[in-house]
Amino acid sequence: MSSPPDLDRATAVHAHEVEHVYGGGRDAVTALGPLSLEVPQGSFLVIVGASGCGKSTLLRLIAGFEQPTSGTVRTGGDQPVPGKGAGIVFQQPRLFPWKSVGGNIELALRYAGVPREERARQIPELLRRVGLHDVAHRRIWQISGGQQQRVAIARALAGDNPLLLLDEPFAALDALTRERLQEDLRRVSAETGRTSVFVTHSVEEAVFLGSRVVVLTRRPGRIALDLDIPLPRTGLEPDELRALPEYAALRATVSQAVRTAAALRGK
Amino acid sequence: MYRKSPDQPVSRRRAVPRFAVRTLAVLVLLGLWQAVAMALDNPSFIPAPKAVADRLLLLSTTHDGIRGYSGSLLIEHLGVSLRRILIGSVIGVVGGLVLGVVLGTVPWIRIVAEPVVTFVRALPPLAYFSLLIIWFGIDETPKLWLLAIAALPPVAVATAAAVHGAPTDLVEAAKALGASRRQVIQDVVLPNALPEIFTGVRLAVGIAYSSVVAAETVNGVPGIGGMVRDAQRYLQTDVVVVGLLAIGISGLLIDGILRVAEKRLIPWRGRS
Ligand SMILES: Nc1ncnc2c1ncn2[C@@H]1O[C@H](COP(=O)(O)OP(=O)(O)O)[C@@H](O)[C@H]1O
Ligand SMILES: [Mg+2]
Repeated sequence: MSSPPDLDRATAVHAHEVEHVYGGGRDAVTALGPLSLEVPQGSFLVIVGASGCGKSTLLRLIAGFEQPTSGTVRTGGDQPVPGKGAGIVFQQPRLFPWKSVGGNIELALRYAGVPREERARQIPELLRRVGLHDVAHRRIWQISGGQQQRVAIARALAGDNPLLLLDEPFAALDALTRERLQEDLRRVSAETGRTSVFVTHSVEEAVFLGSRVVVLTRRPGRIALDLDIPLPRTGLEPDELRALPEYAALRATVSQAVRTAAALRGK
Repeated sequence: MYRKSPDQPVSRRRAVPRFAVRTLAVLVLLGLWQAVAMALDNPSFIPAPKAVADRLLLLSTTHDGIRGYSGSLLIEHLGVSLRRILIGSVIGVVGGLVLGVVLGTVPWIRIVAEPVVTFVRALPPLAYFSLLIIWFGIDETPKLWLLAIAALPPVAVATAAAVHGAPTDLVEAAKALGASRRQVIQDVVLPNALPEIFTGVRLAVGIAYSSVVAAETVNGVPGIGGMVRDAQRYLQTDVVVVGLLAIGISGLLIDGILRVAEKRLIPWRGRS
């Protein structure tokens, strides 16, 4: 029934007939799948789905933190291993409070094997890229939650991984801050051109950020909708983008799919 | 944006009355002491504050050819004891740290060694001092061993618990950045454990402090515990009281220094 996965290196992420079950016996919970997905290099894929449908599980499989119960996952043609090939941004910033802001970035660069002098040069550059200036010496608790998440993004960008995985990174932020970070992430992604997989439960966020949106069904999550978002990635102000007639139409389509998927069981 | 810690002005406002209340409490205590001493009128039982103050002066000077107590000034007795506490604590803390990291990371060693640590922790230092004297004689060595053994368990237990309970989300974040197992321990698990380790260190130094009197029951002069013990034999109650005050006040000072060091070394404590 299943042909071997096509391990094309131009495919950043390759998931084939992936299913994930937590626990065993009577406590077994099928969290995800079966699900097949290919993410070409350079695309910005947004996964949308209700809470508990297996979005984080899918991301953890791509990151290599979990092994699929069945099926295969490949990143850049290889079995995913945490810390190799993918930067991750979690819902909480997960910064190290014993390090300064710059120290957190420095650690990421060190783990990536960047030499010392080069690290000192890259730290302000990475912070500037996520819209932060003169904060390298600050302690983590001296900056706001939005700034902390910016640092977390800069940290995930450090080391030039080809893949960026983001698990509801803006869900804990207030609406205004969230919008600013969405706009900046869209710009950063266009600048760096790296492949991103972004998980959210917000339709608005999905259409604004994604070059492609995948809607998942309720648990166990399967693909309910796979939609290209043919909006320009550069050249438009965020407000101009949101004002496009296609934008409203795409948002309506995704919104409709999410509502249907919420009523739909995976099986 | 830099946010000033909101409790800063509050604690500054409270600092003045707290100091006043403490001074007042000390004065009341002195008054009570004076009253009881006068009522009993038995200096071998309760010497009056004035008698203790006079003795403090005598112990701190050379008087009629007699130098302090048993040939050493009070400050020298205290210095010898503090040196023993310092060396014993350092050995105990370092040993406790190493043992704690091993206990916290290697499950089978924890299963074997944890009951031993708990057993040693439950023993009063005087109980194993006899054994240490048989093994190491009556000079410095058994005293330092006693203090080190007394200081080790609290650090080991605190370190093991903190290392074992390292937050998975931060460990995962480090692994996601490509940290090796050693780097995870060095850069995440240990710094995260520092606040609890420091609490263990303060506990250890406190235990070493209270054990020094036990360590100086045998051949303890010079030494503040030895001085107190000798003075007790000759019913020099005022010397005993001076010794107790010296031990207590220097203990408070050392804990204060440790608290300041903690604030400096672990500024993130209670912040995240
Ligand atoms: N470690 C785990 N053990 C058992 N069940 C889990 C575990 N992690 C997640 N689950 C379950 O799997 C399902 C999907 O979880 P998750 O991937 O976190 O969903 P989402 O991120 O979409 O909210 C949920 O029902 C959740 O309770
Ligand atoms: Mg989730």
